[in-house]
Amino acid sequence: MDTLFNPFSLKDKVVVISGAASGIARQCAISCSKMGARLILLDLNGVGLAETMKLVDSPEYHFYSCLNLLDYDKVSQVIKEAVNQVGKINGLLNCAGISTTNLFKITKPEELDKFFHVNVYTAYFLTQECCRVGNWAKEGGSVVFFSSVAGNLGEIGKSTYGMTKAALLNLSKHLACELARRKIRVNSISPGAICTPINMNLPHMKDPEKRAVLEAQHLLGLGEISDVANACIFLLSDASRWVTGTNLFVDGGYSVK
Amino acid sequence: MNEFLNLFKEAIEREDEVRLEDEFRKYDEWDSMAYLSVIALMDDKYNKQMEEAEFNTLQTVGDIYEICTKN
Ligand SMILES: NC(=O)c1ccc[n+]([C@@H]2O[C@H](COP(=O)([O-])OP(=O)(O)OC[C@H]3O[C@@H](n4cnc5c(N)ncnc54)[C@H](O)[C@@H]3O)[C@@H](O)[C@H]2O)c1
Repeated sequence: MDTLFNPFSLKDKVVVISGAASGIARQCAISCSKMGARLILLDLNGVGLAETMKLVDSPEYHFYSCLNLLDYDKVSQVIKEAVNQVGKINGLLNCAGISTTNLFKITKPEELDKFFHVNVYTAYFLTQECCRVGNWAKEGGSVVFFSSVAGNLGEIGKSTYGMTKAALLNLSKHLACELARRKIRVNSISPGAICTPINMNLPHMKDPEKRAVLEAQHLLGLGEISDVANACIFLLSDASRWVTGTNLFVDGGYSVK
Repeated sequence: MNEFLNLFKEAIEREDEVRLEDEFRKYDEWDSMAYLSVIALMDDKYNKQMEEAEFNTLQTVGDIYEICTKN
């Protein structure tokens, strides 16, 4: 057996991860560091970020910054600084986001605005900044947008969140076309339900009865953060070098039926 | 002029140097998207609007620079 054969290696690839203070993105940071990546970790929660830095392999190789991704000028500054320190970018996981459960009939415009700004605009402009010539590596690489099963399918109380996630899914297809010339692949990932701080206080996770129903809807039960992190490793690595513009369900079979 | 060259470079997403005497259509990066970006650059930064037929007569980066900076 060739022990060196590892098409999933991220050795020396520079990977930007937004939302890295918590949940799935934190696990992505840990897993990517184990695969050899150098990380640029962003989140508005400084305490959580510092905790993530304690959990990653070789923390001295990585860069982290506590910032609100809605502050676009700061994002531009921080990405420049990070590239100077860690190197040009090969991968980006747009993981930061917020969730809610609310009904269509009572949703206010301000609420929609907030969700589109935090879930869509931040990912859009972080990607724009990372992909600037001079920030992104000449050899190309991989961008991943975090959609959700709720961005693909209907559910009660998920229209606000779901629309933002559908926007990201579609955005990834258009950017796949625009960025292919620079060998930057763009895909989205659609996780099913995984208990993290984003949803642990929402009814479908908190209420034991609702949670049991949700669990039954996932053929393989609820997922774990490492299930999504492993899929991200695939999308970031050269193992997926011929994959662009696609949407990867990582949902324990939720979307099959 | 340097500002223009930098903006032009960014618009066509070219890593290598850009010079006024270069024939821009010979750049590897030149394609329909680069064209759209340059048209947008001329419009946004220099308030110069151009028809495709007119643009097609331009050969060098300097030709574009001249249009952008002429009063
Ligand atoms: N957990 C799930 O079941 C699930 C399912 C499908 C999709 N997702 C998606 O996966 C991604 C990660 O979710 P998670 O469950 O790990 O959530 P999480 O709440 O644990 O983490 C999200 C992180 O994003 C950060 N963030 C939010 N707004 C920010 C801003 N303006 N600037 C900087 N950072 C900001 C938060 O501080 C937080 O650390 C989200 O995009 C979510 O929509 C999650």
